[in-house]
This record gives sequence, C-alpha cells and structure tokens, in this order.
Amino acid sequence: MSEKKEYKVIGTRPIRHDGVDKVTGRALYGADFQIAGLLHGRVLRSPHAHARIVSIDTSRAEAYPGVKGIVTAQDLPDPADKVADLGEGAVNLKYLCDNILARDKVLYKGHAVAAVAATSPHIAEEACTLIDVAYEVLPPVLEVRQAMEPDAPLLHENLKTTSLGETADEPSNVASHLQYKKGAPEKGFAEADVVIEREFVTGTVHQGYIEPHNATALYNPDGHLTIWCSTQGAFTVREQVAEILQYPISKIKVVPMEIGGGFGGKISVYIKPVAALLAMKTGKPVKVLMNRTDVFEGTGPTPASYIRVKMGATKAGKVTAAEAYLAFEAGAYPGSPVGPGAMCIFAPYNIENVLIDGYDVVVNKPKTAPYRAPGATNAAFGSETILDELAERLEIDPLEIRLMNGAKEGDRRADGPIYPRIGYIETVEAAKQHPHYAAPNGKKHHGRGVASGFWFNIGLESSVTINVNVDGTINLVEGSTDIGGTRASIAMQAAEVLGIPAESVNPSVVDTNSVGYTAVTGGSRTTYATGYAAYEAAQDVKRQMIARAAKLWEVDEANVQFADGEFSCINGKEEQISFRDLCARLGETGGPVVGSGTVNPGGAGGAFATHVVDVEVDEETGKVEILRYTATQDAGKAIHPSYVEGQIQGGVVQGIGWALNEEYIYDAEGTMTNASFLDYRMPTCLDLPMIDTVIVEVPNPGHPYGVRGVGEVPIIPPPAAIANAIYDAVGIRMTELPMSPERLLKAIGTI
Amino acid sequence: MEKFSYVNATSLEQVTSLLSDSGWGEVMVIAGGTDLLGELKEYIETPKTLINLKTLPGMDSISADGSGLKIGALATVADIAMYPEIQNHYTVLAQAAGSVATPQIRNVGTLGGNLCQRPRCWYYRDETVDCLKKGGELCYAIEGLSKYHAILGGDPVYIVHPSDIAPALIALGASLKIVGPEGEKTMSVEEFFTLPATNPYRENVLEPNEIVVEVQVPHPKSNAKSFYLKAREKGAPDFALASVAGVFEMEGNTCQAASIVLGGVAPAPWRSTEAEAALTGKMITESVSMQAGEDAVKDAQPLNDNAYKVTLTRNLISRAAMMAAK
Repeated sequence: MSEKKEYKVIGTRPIRHDGVDKVTGRALYGADFQIAGLLHGRVLRSPHAHARIVSIDTSRAEAYPGVKGIVTAQDLPDPADKVADLGEGAVNLKYLCDNILARDKVLYKGHAVAAVAATSPHIAEEACTLIDVAYEVLPPVLEVRQAMEPDAPLLHENLKTTSLGETADEPSNVASHLQYKKGAPEKGFAEADVVIEREFVTGTVHQGYIEPHNATALYNPDGHLTIWCSTQGAFTVREQVAEILQYPISKIKVVPMEIGGGFGGKISVYIKPVAALLAMKTGKPVKVLMNRTDVFEGTGPTPASYIRVKMGATKAGKVTAAEAYLAFEAGAYPGSPVGPGAMCIFAPYNIENVLIDGYDVVVNKPKTAPYRAPGATNAAFGSETILDELAERLEIDPLEIRLMNGAKEGDRRADGPIYPRIGYIETVEAAKQHPHYAAPNGKKHHGRGVASGFWFNIGLESSVTINVNVDGTINLVEGSTDIGGTRASIAMQAAEVLGIPAESVNPSVVDTNSVGYTAVTGGSRTTYATGYAAYEAAQDVKRQMIARAAKLWEVDEANVQFADGEFSCINGKEEQISFRDLCARLGETGGPVVGSGTVNPGGAGGAFATHVVDVEVDEETGKVEILRYTATQDAGKAIHPSYVEGQIQGGVVQGIGWALNEEYIYDAEGTMTNASFLDYRMPTCLDLPMIDTVIVEVPNPGHPYGVRGVGEVPIIPPPAAIANAIYDAVGIRMTELPMSPERLLKAIGTI
Repeated sequence: MEKFSYVNATSLEQVTSLLSDSGWGEVMVIAGGTDLLGELKEYIETPKTLINLKTLPGMDSISADGSGLKIGALATVADIAMYPEIQNHYTVLAQAAGSVATPQIRNVGTLGGNLCQRPRCWYYRDETVDCLKKGGELCYAIEGLSKYHAILGGDPVYIVHPSDIAPALIALGASLKIVGPEGEKTMSVEEFFTLPATNPYRENVLEPNEIVVEVQVPHPKSNAKSFYLKAREKGAPDFALASVAGVFEMEGNTCQAASIVLGGVAPAPWRSTEAEAALTGKMITESVSMQAGEDAVKDAQPLNDNAYKVTLTRNLISRAAMMAAK
C-alpha cells in the first residue's frame, strides 16, 4: 500500500500454463500412469483401533492365482529409535516405519498391516481377504482428555512425556508439553476489568483432497528405483522412502504427476514405500491406489482438540493478559501441530502478558498430518471467540478491539520473534471499510461475526533452472508441485525480470533427477521461495545476456544496460537489441544460455487475514446458512491476483466446512462410521455464497517483489467468525465444532 | 466387489423366472445402480447374478391425465422432478424427487430403485458389522451411535428409510404395481412398506421374485396444496435428518383434510395420523400447527444421540402446516 511499484507482468491475470491440459482432461495424474507389465497393489488394513499383532499368515494369499508378491513390516528394515530430519523437522524413524506397515501393534483402524501385488486390482483385493492376521485386541483411547488420564490405555510402552526439556520417568500418551510465556500473566489479569474464560472442543477433520493417494514404483535390476506419484514434494518423498527403506537417495527417482489437491495431506508418505517394496519383491512395476475409505482411515487428518482460553481486558478495551491451554490429538504417533497452534493463537495481537501451554497427545486415530495452517484454526476458534465476547461485554465494535490491540512492526510474539513490517492492521481496516461491514444487519435470526488469523509461512530451499530458447522464450524448470497455480506465479516472476510476457515462459515441474533440491509445496512457500529462485535464475540469465550483448558490440559489460526487454549500450555506441533478437544470436556469441537460481530465504513474512460473515440461523431446524462472506488478507504482493483470490476462497470454504459440518464420527471401538464423502459432509456450491475477497498489499521486505504466502491463513478465521455470527443471530456461544444442526438445536435449548 | 454374471432383461417373465430360482441375494436386479453398486463394493451384497432392468422396453414412461399419473418404475428421479404436470399439480412429489442426491444421481437413479433402496445406517453399511438387519443379533444403534437413526417405529431395528419420494407418494395416496411369477398385483404405497417389527430384514413386502413395475398417483383435489420439507446437514447430496411430505386440502385457512407423511425418522415412511387429526377441520393458526407437530412426536422414542430429531420433526410439521395456511 505504501510504495507502489510499476510492473508489466506481476499483478496481471494471464491464463495458467497448465490450464488447457487441466480443462481438457489431458493432464496426467498418478492413477492415469501406465507402464508395460504393471501389477496392482492393495493394502490390507487393520479392522481394530488398538491391537497387538500376534501373527500374520500370508500362505493362503500367496497361493491365490495371480498373486505375485506380499509384503509386511518384516520386509522393512528394522528401524532403531533413530531420528531423521526429513525437511519438516525431526521424525522418529521407528514411528515413521510403523505407520507404513504395522510391526508390533496396530494403533488405529485402517493401519496398514500387509500389501499384495497381483495381476489385477480385483485379485489383489481378494487376496487381502486371504491374509490371516491374529490380533490381541486392546482397549482403544479415542479422545485427547481421556488419553491424558493417568490410567488411560497406553499406545506406546516407551513413550514418555518431554516437558519443557525434561523427560518423565513413567510412560504416558502425552508425548510432549511446550510452553510460551511473555510478561506476567497473573499481573495482567489483575489489571483487567473483564476476564473471560471458556473451553472449546474441535473435531477431527480431513483435508478432503479430491484425488486419493497413488503410487507406481519400478525397480530395475541395477538398483534404480523410480516412483511416479501424487505428492506435494517429490524430494520429500525421495527422503522419506530412502529413510524408511534404508536405501541410497541417489538410487531413487521420484516423478511427480499432477496433483488433485493436497492441503498438507500429501507430504507424508503412506503407500509409496509399500509400492516400492512390492516392486522390489516382484521385479515388476506395481501401482497402488487408495480408495476414499483408505484415505479417511489410513491417512492423516488434522487433529481434534480440547482448548481452554482466558483473556482479560480493561474497560477501554486493552487486552492485558491472555492464557491458552491446548491439548491436540497427534493420532497414533507423536507430532500434532500443537506447536504452530500455540505460536499462532494470540499472534495477531500485541499482548503484554501471555501464557500458552501445549500438549501433544497420542490417541488411536490415524497419525495426523498437516492441513492448511495446521493447528492455527483450532487455536483461533478459541481466542477469536473470546475476543469477540470481550468486545461485546465492553460494548466495543469487534473490529475496533482488534485495531486497538493489533500487532505491528516491532511487536514481539509470545513465542519470541519480533515482527518485521506486517499487514494485520491493514486487513482489519479493509474489513471495516468494506461495504459488507456497513450493510444493515438487523433481521431476526441474522447475525454478523468477524475473526482474524495469523500464519507465519515458511521459506526453505528451492531451485530453478532457466533454459533460454532461440525464439526469445524460456523454459523454466522447477521442482515445486503446482497445486494452486504456481506454475503461473513462478513463471511470472521470471518474466518480469526478463521483460517478456508470461506466455513466453514454459514452466515444467520435473522429477528429482532433473532439478535442484526443492522443498515441499507447503507452508505457503511456493510463490514466495520458488518464485524467489525463479527471480534469481532470471537475474542469472540477465547477467549472461548482458555479457553476450557486450560481446556482440565489443564493449565492456558495464556499458550494457537492460530495461523493458531491451539491451542497450550506454557510453559510446548507439546499439540496441531486444531480448528476443539477442536470443537468436546466442549460438554465435558462445552457445546456449542457462540460468540457475537457488534460495533458502529466511524472510517468509507472516500473513494475516480478517473475515466478516453474515449467517442466518434457522432456530427450528438448527441449520446455519452462510449469507455473505468477505475475506481480507495481506498478500504482500499478489503476483497473479486470480490465484490469490482462489486460495482465499478455497481456504474460506474449507473453514466453513470445518465450522458447520465436517468431523470424523467414531464409535466406541474406534471405527470411523462416516468414511465416505456422502457421510463426511464437505460443503458444495449449494452451501456457499460468493466469497468476496479483498487483497491488501503490504510488501514483504523479505522478497524482491514483496510476496507473502497466501494459501493457508484463509482457513483460520471461518469457524470463529461463524460462531461469533451465530451468537449475534441467536445469542448463543457455540464452543464445539462442528456447529451442526444437532448441536445448534441442543444449544438453543429446544430439546 | 465379488464377481457376478450380468443378464440384460428381455421380459418381465424372464426376470421373475430368473429371480424365482433363488432366495434373497443370489440374483438381484439393477437399474440405475446408484445404491446397489455401493453395496456391492462394500460387500454388503454379493449376488452371483445381476439382471439389468434398463433393457425392459417402455418401463420408463410417465403419463398423466385428469384422473392421475402413471409412472414406470424405470423413470428416472430427474424425469419425475422435471415433469411439468408433476411440478404443477403434484408439487410434493416434484419437490421430493428434486431433493434427492445430486443431478448426476437423479439422472440415473430410478423410481423403483428409490423406493427399494436399502438403509444408509452406518452399521448396516459396514461389512464387518453383523447387525440384526443383516441377520445378526443386535441393532447396534441402540447402544452405539444413533445420530441419524429412527425416533419412531424403530423396535427392533432403528434404521430410517432413506427415500424422499416414498413419503410424497404416500401423502398423495399413490399405489404401486408389483409383478411376480403369479402375475401382477396392486397395493397402496403405504402398505408396501413394512416396519422391522414385521420383518427386521427387509423394508417392504416384496418377495425375492417380485419387482415393482409402476406407480399410480391419483390427481390431487383442486383445493390441495402440497409441500415437501427436508431438513439436512448440508445442501446436497444429503439424506433427510427429517422430512415432511404434506398434502393439505384447504378452504381458506381451514384444513379440510391433511395427509402428512414423515421421512428420515422411522424405518418406513411414517404416516402421522396424529398430526393429520390435529389439523383436519381446523382453522390453521400458529398454535394449531404447533399442536400438530407436538402430537406427531408424542410417542417418539429417541435413542442416545437423536433427540434433536424430535424437535426437528415437530418444527417441520408446524412449518408445513403454516405454509398451507398462507
């Protein structure tokens, strides 16, 4: 908003490079992959939520005609309790391996125990029913507070709580306890005129990507292993498979196919190492596909949680203290996103006194996986509801109280970092100035709610290579899976540097043998970091092209300048040549030009969002209708505004689903009773109004064009904003997600 | 899914004779397949033979005259929802058909299949659960999760009947034609459905060798107003948490006769004679309509998780009555 730079490509809306392939159905996804001699794999999954594996007898299945190979955990290298760093932080390798194929115990219904490769998918499926697994069934624990009880059934006999650096003596389901503290919370609460505390409960929800997981593996006699698959990061697949199979990374090639959604759920591997094992065992290529039930039961959702939030403020509206207790279900193995939840919960506000406790707790559900701003949505449901209640009690407009307490450059977050230039206040101002906020809101059973959210975004490594073509176009080679239009947003940054149209860039997402290391498409990092690498690669091309022009004109490189796609000679000669014309003369000036850029930038720049929603509550049926939705968000600089808007709208819709409908419904034995898209209710266009978006641009000082990641933060505010709107409509504070008709009717008290 | 052989039907005689050779489940009929394929994939049904009814000529027709409608069992749900005469004079039926699933499913799902579809109960649909419906000992909803289960007529199986079209047809006084080895017979749609107390394993009176071939709907009286109200958790696709099919013969604001049939709350479409009695002959006011709702659910026996359905059903009935008075 401050300094407006003039760009030719950035900020425009060209057609995405993969658009034609996608809309014509020609784009190749993992399930489309075909190769001669292909076998089909199927995974046998545990029918129990918690059981000891007594024995696995595969002999009947092996004898079944068409079966070519069967694997169990016995085929995996036995991992010691080794810790491996797989790009997303340290991971206990035994846990990682046990989640691929259970060794001693099954820890959730749907836990993989064996896999079959056969000549057809049907034979593989039938053969799975012929594998005899003897289980000693154990009582499951399915809820975080129950799992924390001292006498709860234990999932891992050796898991001991790590609390603030100390490890306990006795085993527990609580894997870890973290704490962030700032100032003196007790003193802060003493200064408050109003203190509000509530408990919140959120359900287990899934990313709900439309494309199930898939993998085809081919093992050559020379030891080279190739995996074609849907993933958010081919390199992380390579790393995980190498660690799980204890196989050299240099012998693994991962080929990313197109991806039908990930939202964080396609970073962890599940069937990829299994396909690899089956390929090694049979010597044939093996394709493994999940169905929807496999996806719900066998892959990571985002955790259910129990949250307690307490906030105090003065009569004038200054928040003096805030406390949060976050207990997150990690699923079967440690590693819930309680850390990010704890870092984000009060992050939009500059609060002097803060205490946050977070607990990572194992339960008999699938190991959780990242989902769009993991942990932050759960946390914000608590904090943003309490802040709304504070504003109401103090008779202050809910956006006003956010402006009064909003974090700015130089403020310190409870977990330590000091903010560089951020755009939170600007998102609140934009919401306040939007016609939506001024529109009348007085009808019976109609209500309006607001909420904000923060997500830090990440940087990490990216590599880009640019090959210059003789016709003035460039081929841009990258390693980032394109989920939400990043071929375009990355290409546009290179095009801007070289003064060429976006259409003159041919981006390719390639395999792990064909581009430099690139971290996952996750953490809202791709347009930021891979875009940054593309910018650097284009700068490299520019430097080399300047040298070519200098050679052509027989002048010193310092005498060549480049602007608006034209090289010209300053100082002396009257020479000028366009980028395109110079491309035609690369042969005579020294051969092809290839530019490269690699980055690991530290200045990702946090993203903030503020949402306004109008709802209508049908008191007779408990149904909540979303009438109008406006989302404001600081994008730093929107490279391709359509895809920023698309990310915001998509995030909001997933947040609405989380708020109103979505949840894993478990029975007492730990079976998910609604493991289909019919029974696990995600919103469709019938449930949604147009989601209005407002892009605020407060440039990120950590990126040459000011980019901030945009993909994750829009999912954070919706549950709280909708809960606040429901309160405005019918005067009831909803503290449990989802806010389904059943819960609404109960809360309204008509039952 | 188990292997099966597939036969294209050529005549009703051929169909019933193929069916006669076995009891339930060995030989099954398929039309749209939107329900059956799910059951096959989940191993809930494992037939050896499937008979494709879609090759039977003429069974997908809809015709209307002054006395009423005739709808072939192979007419699609979309055909029913979009048929102008049905939209104009049989509103409750058009609305009910239009509320089924998604456009894609309505385009292939048939009337016969909609009436004969199996329960959506999550215990019934779980191949590993041997519940009473499938010949086991126990209805798991009684002690287990019962959010979507029956509040009326459940004992001993607490499934809810999933059809939207059936309540509408019963409210309109429709009858249906069944063909079996002994020829054809006609009965009211209301009599067609049975409660688990009569037969816990099936939802209707069909014998293993019979199929539904046609539905006949008498023309509603000229003073009839009809509605289908369906409460669900999301817009679509979704089954009813509770639904009300109501046909009201109105003289001004006075209800001369009412026909009220509930969906989603009982193992069969549930005619509420109590609500009908509370409205018949009455000037419909807010209190009368609320009384009708109260009366309809006074014998409701909710399980652990579905008490909200009692409230919901009560409110939907009063809402439908108030709509009739408008």
